[in-house]
Amino acid sequence: MSKSYFDETHCAIGHPKSTFMQWMLTVDHKRIGIMYAAVMFTFFFVAVATAVLMRFELFAPGQQFIDGDTFNQAFTLHGVIMIFLFVIPGIPAIFGNIVMPLMIGAKDVSFPRLNWFTFWLYILGAAIAVSSLWVGDGFADTGWTFYAPYSLNTGTNVIQTLVAAFILGMASILTGLNFLVTIHRLRAPGMTFFKMPLFVWGIYATAWIQLLATPVVGITLVLAILEKYFGIGIFDPAKGGDPVLFEHLFWIYSHPAVYLMILPAFGIMSEIIPTFSRKEIFGYRTIALSSASIAGIGYLVWGHHLYTSGMADIAKTVFSFLTFFVAVPTGIKFYDWVATMYQGKIVLSAPMIWALGTMITFAIGGLTGVTITMIGVDIHLQDTYYSVAHFHYAILGGVVFLLFAGMHYWFPLVTGRMYNEKHAKIAFYLNFVGFNLLWFPMFIAGYYGMPRRYFDYLPEFQIYHQLSFYGALIFASGLIMMFWVFYKGWTKGEKATPNPWNATTLEWHLPTSPPPLENHTKVPYVDFNPYEYHHGEPVVKFDYETMRRID
Amino acid sequence: MDTNTTVNYQVERKRYYKVLVGLLLLTTLTFIQPYIYHAATFTSQMLIAVVKAWLILMYYMHLKGEKLIGATVIFSLFLVTVFFVIVIGIDVPNFQNATESHITSQVTDHAANTAHAAH
Amino acid sequence: MAHAYVPEIATDREGNEHEVQGWQDDFYGGKLGFWLFMLTEVMMFGGMFLALAYYNTLHAQDYIEASASLNRLLGGTNTVILLVSALTMGLGLLKMRAGDVKGAKLMIWATIILATAFLVIKGFEWRAEYNHGVFLGLPAMQPGNEGSLPFGKILFFGMYFTMTGLHGLHIIIGIGLMIWLLKRINSEKVTPDHHILYWNIALYWDIVHLIWVFVFPYYYMIGGGDIVGGVAHGH
Repeated sequence: MSKSYFDETHCAIGHPKSTFMQWMLTVDHKRIGIMYAAVMFTFFFVAVATAVLMRFELFAPGQQFIDGDTFNQAFTLHGVIMIFLFVIPGIPAIFGNIVMPLMIGAKDVSFPRLNWFTFWLYILGAAIAVSSLWVGDGFADTGWTFYAPYSLNTGTNVIQTLVAAFILGMASILTGLNFLVTIHRLRAPGMTFFKMPLFVWGIYATAWIQLLATPVVGITLVLAILEKYFGIGIFDPAKGGDPVLFEHLFWIYSHPAVYLMILPAFGIMSEIIPTFSRKEIFGYRTIALSSASIAGIGYLVWGHHLYTSGMADIAKTVFSFLTFFVAVPTGIKFYDWVATMYQGKIVLSAPMIWALGTMITFAIGGLTGVTITMIGVDIHLQDTYYSVAHFHYAILGGVVFLLFAGMHYWFPLVTGRMYNEKHAKIAFYLNFVGFNLLWFPMFIAGYYGMPRRYFDYLPEFQIYHQLSFYGALIFASGLIMMFWVFYKGWTKGEKATPNPWNATTLEWHLPTSPPPLENHTKVPYVDFNPYEYHHGEPVVKFDYETMRRID
Repeated sequence: MDTNTTVNYQVERKRYYKVLVGLLLLTTLTFIQPYIYHAATFTSQMLIAVVKAWLILMYYMHLKGEKLIGATVIFSLFLVTVFFVIVIGIDVPNFQNATESHITSQVTDHAANTAHAAH
Repeated sequence: MAHAYVPEIATDREGNEHEVQGWQDDFYGGKLGFWLFMLTEVMMFGGMFLALAYYNTLHAQDYIEASASLNRLLGGTNTVILLVSALTMGLGLLKMRAGDVKGAKLMIWATIILATAFLVIKGFEWRAEYNHGVFLGLPAMQPGNEGSLPFGKILFFGMYFTMTGLHGLHIIIGIGLMIWLLKRINSEKVTPDHHILYWNIALYWDIVHLIWVFVFPYYYMIGGGDIVGGVAHGH
């Protein structure tokens, strides 16, 4: 029985004998990705529980069982965990780590020890954030956006959360740095940029955002911490500061951050669609370049979060135009994916139905974003449930759904086993129905004026909250079922072959399943495109001992 | 690309000293600028700083000849410039509620003029 | 670093061999990685300059007056010290690459001494400002008190202490890195053939200098006119 990466590993310090220490000190990108996943999903469920708690509270007008201040802390906790601990590390931390080096034929990332250090930096940041629940006045109650001047004046643990966010930001920067150097330096011989799989393009574009945008929010948080601690007066109007400057600096990062979230997700879509259409992807180059342009233009649109802040009218117009513009590359991707499926032999396995479901939910999320790009419309809909529904459709129904799709897709690669296909599909439908019932009514509620982050509301909005509540229950049960399917699959599932989907990219051309520690037996020479299919069958075949082509 | 094992010590050393002299001259210029050309102090100072920065980047940091790294430096400087242009060039001069604002200078200058002289 | 690393060979269909770049022993990769890290510093200090310039536009007169009250003699001395230290750092790296390890270590010591001098002088500056009531947390820096500075000056000095403070922190980190570098040279982990660490620390020192190249004129020189400046002037 040959060894896999679960049997042996490289460590940052020394050669520990115990399995536990081997996991704690591992520099292997595959193990690090799994550890990120384990921690991130734990936090994900904490944030989901917080959300369900809020849905319970909001079932009827008036106070049910938590007060207004606690409610404020709840939505802040939900946002901070979901954004900083889950979606931003997100797909890069899990699949960027596990799959990207395999896809380019590398043995690891460029700086494996930095990768190990970055993981523990993430853990430190997460611990500091979550521990603020039990310190002093409890978790921050400012919303995850920490707007000045309230964040500067509230007694809850803002400083601690800002410190945590800074540390988490550093982890994000270092991950991006590591991936950028890896993709530039460690591609297999012959693999030019335009022979890379599109997931790698997604990770590459994301890494640029991680690297250049995050420091801006880093310094903003540092300035806010210094202001709270020393009373400097950078954002507090009582001292001559300008809270809108905080908004500018905050959103200069946080808008590119959402592209940081979606680009790897689109990369996963671009992997799943050709594999389950048994066909070469349509418009490879346009998808690749659209990822780069989304990353580039995405730096220029942050002002659409400031339409109601008193920003100059000319600036509002500029931002509105640029935001419309940045929607175009995403549209190009959608057309390319649909064109790929056209006349393909569609295989409706679990990864594919997740991907197709996401095309629906993300289209809704993206298009509703375009509606509030219009300044006049946004003046009415800003800070209502419409925005909330929009970004949940885009982030949850886009990024997270594609993360789930990727989990179904790469499950056999990571674990060496297969989950139960039928149960996985049932879980998908539970998730999809629950998700839409939870979020769609919010578009309507927001349109009629239901404000976000409100603990209480007028009776006319109750019906929407009730529908959302039932949707939340169905969605939560779908999530639980999906993870149960994964758990059963990993512990009791059938053993998988190295390439159960008969896909073409390099991560499926490993000698064993799960993969060996050192990845490919030998690094192949890449003189082929990533998605070459002929009559539904992959063109490129390898001899797995020598990694030379035998087609 | 690999470690530069063949380094021409004398040539490089001369280059470092030449750049040092250039930087020292520019620093002197920084000090005397307010006397010889008082009109646009901020712009002049920033221009001198940019020239110094260019010398440091090209020669001390060996950026001359580096294609990829040079492109990334230019891209990030471009981003910072865009932030400045949009926030300070477009937003600040055109605040929507400037006349009512508690923090813009027409309000604070008045307050400063009527407060005690201490500064 | 694995000095005994042997790169893999990949063979294409014609039988040609291609060397595979591994993550070990990748000089260019190390250099690229460090440059990318420095870009984050550019973005970070860029954000601070943005805040500084933002309030400059709103309070131009206050800024000029506050700038004039800074000690240009001390600040200028620091500028020259840092400039020379950038030279010593670069010369040290050059000597290492040419094989002169002893000379390289001397240059690192020279840089450390100059860096420490910078910090000492900055300490004097801050102390003088503190004695004049201008410091983080003191009443003059809060509005509404007896001797409160006007808004523009509060913002100016707030950013001044923040930026020079963070810059000073980077200098302290730099000194730490240089001491570590000396240890690595002594234990022969850094040699004329394997000097990526030295290269990157020199780059780090250059960027610390680069930031000061912009910090100095923006804070000290925009008040223009009087060379001596200093705390006594204008107060």
